Amino acid sequence: MCLLAAIVLLAAITAPGQAFAHAALVTTEPTDGAVLAQSPAQFSLTFSEPVSPLVLALVRPDGTPVPLRSFRLNGQTLDIDNPQRLGSGTHVLSWRVISADGHPVGGSVLFSIGAPSAAPAVSEAVDRGLRSAIWIGKVFLYVGLFLGVGGAFAIAWLAQGGRAGRRFVIAAILCGLVAAPLSLGLQGLDALGAPFARLARPGVWQAGFGTSFGWTVLVALVALGLGLLSLVGRRGGAKLFALAGLAGVGAALAASGHASAAEPQWLTRPMVFLHGAGIAFWAGALAPLGLTIRRKPAEAAAFLRRFSQAILPVVAVLAATGFVLAVTQVQAPAALLETAYGRLLLVKLALLFFLFTLAATNRWKLTGPAQAGETEAQRRLVRSIGIEMLIVLAIFGVAAGWRFTPPPRALAIAAAQPASVHIHTPKAMADLSITPGHVGPVAASIVIMTGDFGPLGANQVTLVLSKPDSGIEPIKRAATKRDDGTWRIDGLVIPVPGRWAARLDILVSDFEMVKIEAPIDIRR
Amino acid sequence: MEIRETIMNKYLLSACAFLVFGTGAAFAHVTLETQEAPVGSTYKAILRVPHGCEGKATTAVRVQIPEGVISVKPMPKPGWTLQAKQGRYEKSYQLHGQTVTSGAKQIDWSGGSLPDEFYDEFVFRGTLAADLPAGQILYFPVVQECEGAAERWIEIPAAGQDGDALEYPAPGLKLLPQK
Repeated sequence: MCLLAAIVLLAAITAPGQAFAHAALVTTEPTDGAVLAQSPAQFSLTFSEPVSPLVLALVRPDGTPVPLRSFRLNGQTLDIDNPQRLGSGTHVLSWRVISADGHPVGGSVLFSIGAPSAAPAVSEAVDRGLRSAIWIGKVFLYVGLFLGVGGAFAIAWLAQGGRAGRRFVIAAILCGLVAAPLSLGLQGLDALGAPFARLARPGVWQAGFGTSFGWTVLVALVALGLGLLSLVGRRGGAKLFALAGLAGVGAALAASGHASAAEPQWLTRPMVFLHGAGIAFWAGALAPLGLTIRRKPAEAAAFLRRFSQAILPVVAVLAATGFVLAVTQVQAPAALLETAYGRLLLVKLALLFFLFTLAATNRWKLTGPAQAGETEAQRRLVRSIGIEMLIVLAIFGVAAGWRFTPPPRALAIAAAQPASVHIHTPKAMADLSITPGHVGPVAASIVIMTGDFGPLGANQVTLVLSKPDSGIEPIKRAATKRDDGTWRIDGLVIPVPGRWAARLDILVSDFEMVKIEAPIDIRR
Repeated sequence: MEIRETIMNKYLLSACAFLVFGTGAAFAHVTLETQEAPVGSTYKAILRVPHGCEGKATTAVRVQIPEGVISVKPMPKPGWTLQAKQGRYEKSYQLHGQTVTSGAKQIDWSGGSLPDEFYDEFVFRGTLAADLPAGQILYFPVVQECEGAAERWIEIPAAGQDGDALEYPAPGLKLLPQK
């Protein structure tokens, strides 16, 4: 080895016209930042002059270094064999060589197979007991709002005097009246990350009320109260109370939740309102309608006619608003399968498919004969409505599950958060942000100031990232100055997560360079 | 085992390099030929430029004259445009019975072309003021410009820092006591 190096170096000395200088990397194969379709058989590094390798390593996307020991020197080009087939993701070819002047120099070449490494979803610790309680509370709240208040609306507007199903609807509303405040306490526990035992503490309830869910509960209680009032109060005000209650259901849902929190708010909140009110209209009518047909077939014909006239536009609104909200939340079709939120949506869509099939059969096959008084059709319609109710309950269960699954939209926002570091030295200060702050393609943004917060003009700013514990030699990128005075580097790829050493070389004048450094944490 | 082997190779190679070259660092950077001089004397500075920037030809060399180096005169060079930028010193100096308050603060050789595979020298002369602190090192930051690239030999070691650790050290002159 020593002999070989000596020969190489002697050759460098004796070569005519050869200056003894440290080597610079001229070209690489693959090129820095390249995205390759498949694993390369070899790498090559061409320097400005002959070199001898000291350490050559390939760092895989998971951060494990693989030493590269098979190489050939071919003039100024170093050909390195790739010992293994590389999986997809961003890899780092880290090199350290010694040039003719005896000075070791090092650097890194980043390339990706298939596509740059992407960031997997985030996860957090789960309190299963609390989650189940929140879920049950949510389902019962839905029962109260949709079956209860929606049922009250159906009795007031569609049944018009018929009172079948009234007791069922009252029971559903009571169910909601219990679930709504209880949900608030559970929400407080979840917000504070507190165990069940603390449910009685006032602070927990305050915390729950402090969240946007507090408004949902307040409005829901008003809606439930209005629904109850329309059933037990004077006949005269029943329609008005029921209508206000139905609007309250939409408002309660629009006050909180993933869908309402999404941008643009002027679109999402009205969509949630219409969606919620639509569900209450449809689901609420099912029980009174089924019970009326079964118990008082004579009164049922008018009820059935009014319902079947109104349901088509309502379903159209439900489908349209549901579609808009799903697109806002899921964003990319792939997220339907890749995220828990998307999978729940698929389950809900499957249930909806059955529901629509049943509803269509009811509407176009059974409604006509049932209105005409055919007992067989009426019997089948009642059974079919019963099954519809079960599917509706299952859908409530799925929708309540969304409480625990951040939608792809929110996941994307979380993943896009930058990694930042503030570097403060007497000579210079800098704010360095790497966006998004996880492995994969990123952009770096740098704001520089003097040590006492004054403006710092610079001719050039260079970002130097290295990760010695992963064997990654410095990755150097020159920043370009933007009109707003910040310095920016685009097209950077961070190959592995963890703590990186970030250094900023700030050229403050032609002859003065300030170097400041700090560690920066890159997420997975 | 693999790691140890790599480290072994690294040390062996470094050792071999030093065997062949002695202190190789002197070949790598832009340096002064004479690296020691007594204060209060006339000093002829010869800047040695051993290579271009990343393989590209050198097209300009600029050197900043540190405070205390007075009455500086650069040597013209065929094929290069010479410019000496004048400025005021931070204080006044006595030279041959006269008070000197200004002089060359920066010298530029530009418009030339020194291919990467050739070597050249850039020369200027000046007087080291008698009150410069003997025992310390005076740095002459140099910017080497090439076609579309530059190398800045402007790094000055911080107190207690090893100058050999710097990537682009400024050429230094050790000040000796006055003769």
